[in-house]
Amino acid sequence: MILRKVLFVFLIFTVFSSSIFAIEENKIKDIMEKNINLVINILQEKEKTKEEKTKQIFSLMDKFFDYEIMSQISLGRDWKTLSNEQKKEFIKAFETKLKNSYIDKLDLYTDQKIEIDDIEKLNAKRIKLLSYLIGKDDKYEIEYKFYKNSKEDWLIYDVNIIGVSIMQTYRQQFSGFLKDKSFEDLLFSLNNKK
Amino acid sequence: MKKAIFSIFLLVTFSFSNTTDVSNELLNDFSDEFESEKVEVFDPLSGYNRVMTSFNDGVYTYVFNPVTQGYEKVMPEPVRLGFSNFFDNLLFPIRFVNNLLQFKFENSVEELGRFLVNSTFGILGFMDPASSELGWEKHDEDFGQTLGFYGVPAGPHIVLPLLGPSNLRDTVGLVGDGYVSPINDSSAINYKIPNDSSQTIYIGAGKYVNKNSFNLGKYENMKKDAIDLYPFLRDIYEQKREKEIRE
Repeated sequence: MILRKVLFVFLIFTVFSSSIFAIEENKIKDIMEKNINLVINILQEKEKTKEEKTKQIFSLMDKFFDYEIMSQISLGRDWKTLSNEQKKEFIKAFETKLKNSYIDKLDLYTDQKIEIDDIEKLNAKRIKLLSYLIGKDDKYEIEYKFYKNSKEDWLIYDVNIIGVSIMQTYRQQFSGFLKDKSFEDLLFSLNNKK
Repeated sequence: MKKAIFSIFLLVTFSFSNTTDVSNELLNDFSDEFESEKVEVFDPLSGYNRVMTSFNDGVYTYVFNPVTQGYEKVMPEPVRLGFSNFFDNLLFPIRFVNNLLQFKFENSVEELGRFLVNSTFGILGFMDPASSELGWEKHDEDFGQTLGFYGVPAGPHIVLPLLGPSNLRDTVGLVGDGYVSPINDSSAINYKIPNDSSQTIYIGAGKYVNKNSFNLGKYENMKKDAIDLYPFLRDIYEQKREKEIRE
């Protein structure tokens, strides 16, 4: 009985604490290390379906990512030409795109290890966390880039994989696409191509 | 009372204008951080590059990929890892020379040490005791990176047949690397293994398939993120090279 109560309180506490989530600068490394290890554990559970795994992973990691700022970065100058309605639609479509792409990448996971290196403070509002994905034959560098928002939260706005910035890549793609096509076309292509 | 209302009003407007300022400032920060959208990417060969990209894509999907899948099934993983180490060890001269050319003397020394240890204790390089036992990691540098180090610009992007994305600087770099590479027949250095260019191609293909057996599915997976394949691969390649040169 007591155990149940304790569990209940614990549950409430975790739910509550995640809802007022704010990651402090000196804890970025520890928190990310903990969560990435949890993600690896989830990935290694063989009896779980892919849906269950992705759901759990997103519930762990989603709070670190700022999809709105990512959407703005990806569109660059074109962002300011959009109406509020369009902005909302785009954020939704882009978030889904990023997530689907991430889910696809999970298929590639076999038994690679992740090694968290260290954080590097670039300026008052930027921090990057360096980590390595260690496979059998190779080692890939993954950099999580955080910025400090107006609420003093540190959130991820970009991820670099072997030096390739995901946001930069989308930014170049979108600007190329919008050169001869409309925003509606872009939205359509995001929503209809997995 | 009026004063109070007025000050609240002021406060509200101030805080509102403040938030928009902050987000604008943030956006500008990000615009500086991410390369501004270039009006026109310098890509005079884009017509040819597009054709070559779809050719390479086809060859990869219908030839290399099935061959690699077969190879992966037949060859046990330790053997493939052994070959991978063996080729890495053979390509030591490229890394050694280019680390030297970039004044990375410590890396060159470590590379030399790796080569000696792995060629002997590592049984002709099939094993990599240098990194597993001594922690001497490989330091990849090639002549394209060396040229970049000395300030040679990338030049126009060129998609090479079978070899994939490159640019003028890195294509010149490949020629330079071929000159010192033991598995390329160009130049007359004594340690060359292949006697003619067809042997170079066979060895290169073998090396490629072996390497590729650790990367099956990655290309297809990554390709899904592309809106338009050619610029996608081009931008990724150029970003990756810039980073490698900076290191």
